[in-house]
Amino acid sequence: MVQLVGPLRKELADSVSSCRVLVVGAGGIGCELLKNLVLTGFRNIEVIDLDTIDVSNLNRQFLFQKKHVGKSKAQVAKESVVQFCPKANITAYHDSIMNPDYSVEFFRNFALVMNALDNRAARNHVNRMCLAADIPLIESGTAGYLGQVTIIKKGLTECYECQPKPTQKTFPGCTIRNTPSEPIHCIVWAKYLFNQLFGEEDADQEVSPDTADPEAAWDPSEAAARATASEQDGDIKRVSTKDWARSTGYDPVKLFNKLFKDDIMYLLTMDKLWRKRKAPLPLEWSELQKQGEHSHFSLVEEMLGGGLKDQHVLGVYGYSQLFSESVKTLSSQLAERGAGAELVWDKDDPPAMDFVTAAANLRMHVFSMNMKSRFDIKSMAGNIIPAIATTNAVIAGLIVLEALKVLSGDLDQCCTIFLNKQPNPKKKLLVPCALDPPNLNCYVCASKPEVTVRLNVSSTMIQTLQDKILKERFGMVAPDVQIEDGKGTILISSEEGETEGNNSKFLSDFGIRNGSRLQADDFLQDYTLLVNVLHSDELGKDMEFEVVGDAPDKAPTPSTQEEGKNITNGNKDSAQPSTSSTGNNMHCCRNNLCRLNSWRCSVCK
Amino acid sequence: MVEKEDAIISEEEAAQYDRQIRLWGLDAQKRLRGSRVLLVGLGGLGAEVAKNLILAGVKGLTLLDHELVTEESCRAQFLIPVDALGQNRAQASLERAQFLNPMVEVEADTDKAEDKPDDFFLKFNAVCLTHCSRDFMVRVDQLCAPKNIKVFCGDVFGYHGYMFADLGQEHQYVEEKPKVVKQSEDANDGPEAKKPKVDPNETTMVKKTASFCSLKEALEVDWMGGKAKTNFKNIPVGYFLLQVLLKFRTDKGRDPQPDSYTEDSGLLLQMREDVLEAMGVSIDLLPPNFVSYCFSEMSPVCAVVGGVLGQEIVKVIFLTIYYAYFLPVLGPQTVPCLMNKLSKMTLQPSPSCCQRSVRKWPWTVGLGQK
Repeated sequence: MVQLVGPLRKELADSVSSCRVLVVGAGGIGCELLKNLVLTGFRNIEVIDLDTIDVSNLNRQFLFQKKHVGKSKAQVAKESVVQFCPKANITAYHDSIMNPDYSVEFFRNFALVMNALDNRAARNHVNRMCLAADIPLIESGTAGYLGQVTIIKKGLTECYECQPKPTQKTFPGCTIRNTPSEPIHCIVWAKYLFNQLFGEEDADQEVSPDTADPEAAWDPSEAAARATASEQDGDIKRVSTKDWARSTGYDPVKLFNKLFKDDIMYLLTMDKLWRKRKAPLPLEWSELQKQGEHSHFSLVEEMLGGGLKDQHVLGVYGYSQLFSESVKTLSSQLAERGAGAELVWDKDDPPAMDFVTAAANLRMHVFSMNMKSRFDIKSMAGNIIPAIATTNAVIAGLIVLEALKVLSGDLDQCCTIFLNKQPNPKKKLLVPCALDPPNLNCYVCASKPEVTVRLNVSSTMIQTLQDKILKERFGMVAPDVQIEDGKGTILISSEEGETEGNNSKFLSDFGIRNGSRLQADDFLQDYTLLVNVLHSDELGKDMEFEVVGDAPDKAPTPSTQEEGKNITNGNKDSAQPSTSSTGNNMHCCRNNLCRLNSWRCSVCK
Repeated sequence: MVEKEDAIISEEEAAQYDRQIRLWGLDAQKRLRGSRVLLVGLGGLGAEVAKNLILAGVKGLTLLDHELVTEESCRAQFLIPVDALGQNRAQASLERAQFLNPMVEVEADTDKAEDKPDDFFLKFNAVCLTHCSRDFMVRVDQLCAPKNIKVFCGDVFGYHGYMFADLGQEHQYVEEKPKVVKQSEDANDGPEAKKPKVDPNETTMVKKTASFCSLKEALEVDWMGGKAKTNFKNIPVGYFLLQVLLKFRTDKGRDPQPDSYTEDSGLLLQMREDVLEAMGVSIDLLPPNFVSYCFSEMSPVCAVVGGVLGQEIVKVIFLTIYYAYFLPVLGPQTVPCLMNKLSKMTLQPSPSCCQRSVRKWPWTVGLGQK
């Protein structure tokens, strides 16, 4: 005889109330998920989130109120849930899931892990931990009106990394420095400029004209000549931007004229660049001030139009003022912090956002592009993904429904579910899709994963191997690397201080050459990857390495210097495309969890 | 339709609503801010809809429920405090509902919905009925729809849920279509803009009118008539399930309860035979195992239906509609949801279609409002 406990049959209700589950993330999906879990009868829940509450979260993360701004998301979520379900036993961790404390053994404690994340790095990591622990993982993501839920079970389904995901879009250095053609190029430039002036300087984030631009040279020897000439001039190449700025006392007028007049005039001398392009028009501070005084109108009048203050586009004069004010504010912040201080760019820090808005717009104006409002620039610079409560509510509901199937042992009934913005031709808003079996060549979940990487052994440093290749590209957190040379020569040790001396040496210094094999381990993730080295002298410009064998239509755009941590500095959506793309018909939830063209799936077509 | 809203949006609103303004635009947010919605029933589904509407930022939400808090309602819902047994459900939900967003005027009404006079319902821009009897839903629909008050109904029965929307005979809306950009009129988004392309961020707003069938019509489809027969295979089993459950609710004055599982499941099986026979359809259309999956309210199902329902109400307030009356349909072996597919939808492009090239957000909608 069927026995019910609430809506659930007794056997299921019993396993629901006794099992332990882990929720990774206490944000948009996480809040809804915690609520659904306790109301369904789950009683042993652990939740982890490294973030604190921001006012922009309050439109959807309903467990938080204004008074909680600044506090730990995991902690406040727990407190709010316990209010309506005191019997729930919730443990909250204000921490990063990538912390080694959360070992494979930690993960093994749970019947089920549910992700509620917003970045790929953490998803990769949890994917590996769950594979290592052999615990089912429910993955999900939302962006705007779109969302997706899927299950990952070792040996049964694809893992999160079985299919290559498109990587963050990056732009070549000369586009940013010499020939921007879209607003985003100017925005990236402005963020680089912020770092060069106030933050951590990065050789991959140059803002001055690139004299070595191959496009600029009428003949190859000329490029070399220019490069030498500029060095002799003693300009930027020899003195760092920050040092130069400091020497002027961060004088906004001098900065303005250098960036928007002198550097532009220099670009104009590279005339080949402007044969087929509209040439940039330099700006001069004092001229601008004279014009501006005549045409300036008050912001108050604009506001009566009813738009958001941030949505107005100021004129060139207005942005020159904004530039000057933000430079003054930021430079005094820097001075306050003392020698060697660095600021970190944050879209929610008003002077930092003002600075990027102003600098980007001035550059857009110079290059004859329509200027953009602070609102729009914040979206692009900050990789903001629009978000609402209802999408998260639906997805979190679906997560729990899949969780119940997993707990009932009905994994064969699980599927991927896509939430569309509009019903498809079959009038379905929620579209189920069969789960795919694992990719036998997956570089994570295959039995002995292997990859081939093309690079230049004489110019690739150990540091690059560690940071750009193993960590960024292959998602390792703390790699240990040895050469498969019969001696097991250790190249990189995850222990601090052991192999620091190797960092600036080149691979070839260790005898690594074409055909060499490296064994990379991440012990926390219980993950071993064999890397085959393919040497090449002829990589594309701005390309440090290339992973061989990625299918062309899914291949990441060449991983360049630009794909650095500083592009999305301080933003937790760290692996997002730099333009938020939630087009009408694309499934593109956070970090490309879903595949495109999902409705060609044989189940749902 | 909506109250004349303030032109200015405050800094506080701009900061709190930032992530949704970036999705649906400032004008849509302002329309929300001028709208008043009635929500009947504060069970599991009602609480979800309340949360979604309050977070979205409507002007006012009235919570109408005469029922008292029981242990079951405490378990099913996250707005009611655990020590509120015996209190009125709407009243008990009020405080937490208000905390969700202090900028919304939330009020609780403890009267019985059926006892309210007609003009009570006419004060709202949209009404959402949950946990209501069939007759009452039909009455409200017939009263409100002709007056351009948008009517939504929804329920969750165990693993099953449905929603219905009646937006009237002449619902005006605006549809977003991607625009092919041949030559950018504002020629200065950089040299790239001159190339012809379809830009998914560049859309055109097209004015349309749609006509919806009433709830009464939807529930009283003649299955024995020739035309209906051909549509059989497209109607999910959920439709018939809904008919049975609404009958149960009318006859027993309540929904099936886990405490009286034996008695209620017997009744449900009997009603299944009666209802399907009266409709002239084969009893095989609704397999008998439904009984063990339609008791109480499954929280995740409330979340899904409540999310869809909430979003539909919000969209209607925007005066845009992508698709009004569909329903989520999950895989047949998982959670069957019911679908109302019976609304007629006739599209009559109005002669003055406005075709303006606008950015996806924030877009301004120039509708000739009545």
